[in-house]
Amino acid sequence: MNRTRIIFFAIIGLALLIVIGGLIWSQVNRTGPEPIEPKASNEPLEVQITCALPVADWVQEAAREFNAAGHKLEGRAIHVTVTPMDGLTAKGRYERDEMAPLPTAWIPDSRYLVELVNAAYKERLGRDVFLTDGEYRARPLVISLLAWGIYSSRADVLQARYGTISWQSIHDAALAPGGWAELGGQSDWGFFKLAISNPRKNISGLAAMVAAAGEYYGRTNITGEDVTNPQFQKWLGEILSSMSDLSGGTYTVADLALFGYTTGDAGQLLESDLLVNMQGIQTRWADPLRIVYPEYVTWFDFPFTVWMGPETTAAEKNAALEFEKYLLSAEVQKKALAYGLRPANPEVPVTGEGSLFDQWAGQGVLGVIPRTTAMRSPDREVLQTLLRWFDLNVAGR
Amino acid sequence: MGSHSKRRVSSRNVQPVLGALIIGLFLVIGLCCGTYALIDRLVDRAGPTPQVAASALTVACSPEKGLAFAALVERFNAQRFKTPDGQVMQVVSLQLDPEAMLTAVLSGNADFQAMTPDSSVWLGQLDQAWGRQRGDEAATVVGETVRYAVSPVVIATWESLAREMGWPERAISWQDLLARAQSDPNFRWSHPSTSSASGLLATLAEFYAGAGKTRGLTIEDVKAQTTLDSVAALERTVRYYGQGNEPALIEQALKEGRAFLDAFVVQEQMVVYFNTYRRDQERLVALYPVEGALWEDHPLALLETEGLTPFHRQVFARFRDFLLSTEAQQLILRHGYRPASLSIPLSGPDSPLTADNGVNPAEPKTALQIPGANVVQVVREVWWYTKRHTNVYLVVDTSGSMRGEKLAQAQEALHVFLDQIQGDMERVGMIQFSSGVYNVIYLDELGHNRAALESAVDGLVAGGDTALLDAVYEAFTRLQDLGDTDRINAIVAMTDGRENNSSISLNTLVRRLERDSKVPVVIFCIAYGQDAEMDVLQAIAGPTGGQVYVGSLETIRDLYKILSTYF
Repeated sequence: MNRTRIIFFAIIGLALLIVIGGLIWSQVNRTGPEPIEPKASNEPLEVQITCALPVADWVQEAAREFNAAGHKLEGRAIHVTVTPMDGLTAKGRYERDEMAPLPTAWIPDSRYLVELVNAAYKERLGRDVFLTDGEYRARPLVISLLAWGIYSSRADVLQARYGTISWQSIHDAALAPGGWAELGGQSDWGFFKLAISNPRKNISGLAAMVAAAGEYYGRTNITGEDVTNPQFQKWLGEILSSMSDLSGGTYTVADLALFGYTTGDAGQLLESDLLVNMQGIQTRWADPLRIVYPEYVTWFDFPFTVWMGPETTAAEKNAALEFEKYLLSAEVQKKALAYGLRPANPEVPVTGEGSLFDQWAGQGVLGVIPRTTAMRSPDREVLQTLLRWFDLNVAGR
Repeated sequence: MGSHSKRRVSSRNVQPVLGALIIGLFLVIGLCCGTYALIDRLVDRAGPTPQVAASALTVACSPEKGLAFAALVERFNAQRFKTPDGQVMQVVSLQLDPEAMLTAVLSGNADFQAMTPDSSVWLGQLDQAWGRQRGDEAATVVGETVRYAVSPVVIATWESLAREMGWPERAISWQDLLARAQSDPNFRWSHPSTSSASGLLATLAEFYAGAGKTRGLTIEDVKAQTTLDSVAALERTVRYYGQGNEPALIEQALKEGRAFLDAFVVQEQMVVYFNTYRRDQERLVALYPVEGALWEDHPLALLETEGLTPFHRQVFARFRDFLLSTEAQQLILRHGYRPASLSIPLSGPDSPLTADNGVNPAEPKTALQIPGANVVQVVREVWWYTKRHTNVYLVVDTSGSMRGEKLAQAQEALHVFLDQIQGDMERVGMIQFSSGVYNVIYLDELGHNRAALESAVDGLVAGGDTALLDAVYEAFTRLQDLGDTDRINAIVAMTDGRENNSSISLNTLVRRLERDSKVPVVIFCIAYGQDAEMDVLQAIAGPTGGQVYVGSLETIRDLYKILSTYF
């Protein structure tokens, strides 16, 4: 082998070494992205929950703790995501097939909304989409009710004049042509202003109208005939004419707190919302809110409702039930007290550490409601009639 | 040597070449593989590249809170929040009038996913129009909404004037203001047009007063002749309509002091802003009308449109939480707004909401009722008929220096001005000047001469010198000859260069503006570009209570748009 050939083979050998070495080095030291694995059975179970606004903060806090605790179902981690949405908005989206992606579970304000959505689906699909019995039935998580929230300075004047706070006394105050000056209050308070949620935007506004009908007729079951009665409509119209914002915005307790007595002297609103805002109202307006319970009580039970359609898997449905159990545990139920919510778990009292019911007992808050004249859920036709009447006669749409 | 030996020789010559080629090939492959491996390793060692948001949440923001909102957005973006999948959350602010926001959403051309107008009234209007557009009243486009700052709409006036009216011992009413405006011919007040919340709310207050109500305003009330007459009488006392851009209004007040206006309608926050930055000017005070105030409640609303992505929702939720955080709420208070968080007291040591700043956090005591969306819409429409109408001359420079892009932009701006004035009862004329005064389109109602004006704007040609003073004097003389005291009489004069060809001198013109003004004429001047003489324009606008604006190629369009709201 001459010298030229030796050099020739040496160079080839060197080149081969570089190639092989390079390839080995690249494979051995690879630290790039992991290859995508096919869906494994240990992938986390995603639970999407659409949640009514009054309980959203409590449920979101619970979800954070639930996720952090690493709860598992059959070896798979459960991850809960909560989307706050008003019950009426959610109902509309379910009915119009606009709820995309479909949540695993829904926590509306009331079981009644579930029945309305079920009725709409039954017409189209011939079956319920939320079960009302069995393992997956809707279970109440916490409870709240509509109560009168009224600024103390105004409550003193109304109670001195009418003796009690009721829809009738509110009606009479709203109609006083001389406003607060005529009622015995100060002239710069202007006219009496009612604070209830816009019934188009918030279920509690619609429920307040039904509660007013209950007091007007002195009974708990309201029919379509009742709400089309011209005398009742005139009476209700006179009350609602004292609402301070008819432009279509949602009026909540947060608004009552933020704008104070400038936009609302009193209103029938959700007790839990009132309790949560009591401290802020005192800070901002230096006039504490007083809570008075109406004769005809409207309850909200915030049921945990699992979607039964094939859009979610059985594992996801069961994972949702795990979260439901967690929400109903005594520990999490106790935390609801700090949000002004009454625990559904009968083992948990409304009093105790951090309870807003204890904190605001001096402002009229009661742990036990003495009168139990609970309004029954009216049928769909009643609600639609009331909404249509509201649009035409109050909001001027 | 035969042919075989020749082939052998040739084969021997080819072998080394082939060998070299093969070696070269291997070397190249080897080098490539080595380099690849090296780069691969280096990239991997550097860790995953930080992901930057593929897009951002764009929020349309009404101009009156531009400053505060920009500060909030900057702080949010600086924190580089990330979505669960690692995308950086960014918010982009886009300044738009509330009316323009509605138009964009309803036409499907909105390049924003959330909006923060000055009032929730606009959200009600939007949902109503959206439902009507789709033939389904229940259909809505306004999604999750949160309020992060509020401020009541007040009448801002100078402290000495407020004291003359009985403040602070006596609560002042809209009626007091309007009575003063009607009884005192020198009293100059202004409210924005109905395209901003403070203007809309001031107009609603007038309709309530006109209908003799403080609640329950109906469409019938609004359209009743007695209401219309009453509102028209009140509107006749308006000096001119302020722009919705409240910061610009306050800047003007800071510049001119009491010479600017006697009273104007703004949100309370602007009074705080003025008093914080005033130097030797008199203090402004906020009057909270006793019949009831109205609130600008600055909602942030997510728009449930087709282009909304999960990313947008995540950024919205994070931004919402940020706006309600103590850090953001304290920043909002420092800007003079009332924060939505009730845990922050308005009377704390760092609060600017003090009597020294002309405001009272214990006020207002009551609010006017906001009527239904239909009534609000009718008020906005009817206002165009009851408002104080205008005679306005557009005085346009077409001298040689306006050639090219400058003239093209000015023409577009003039079209915007004409488009913005919706009422056909407003009278507009146009005077073109260069070496002389030319091409006068006589003053007439827009219902009659809109097409002629549009055509004249299109036909403008640049050339010649600059006879600005003659052109202004021509417009002024025409308005004096008309002698119409019922309407706002105004001139909007735009020039880009030095006056060099008028027969009238500046001194003479100013003297005549001051002495011969049987009919009050307000002159607004636009200094278009760097070469315009600011001192000359100030001398023209000053005695008439008008203002000088500086415009450029980029801003001339917006400037004319703003000026259109004055009429």
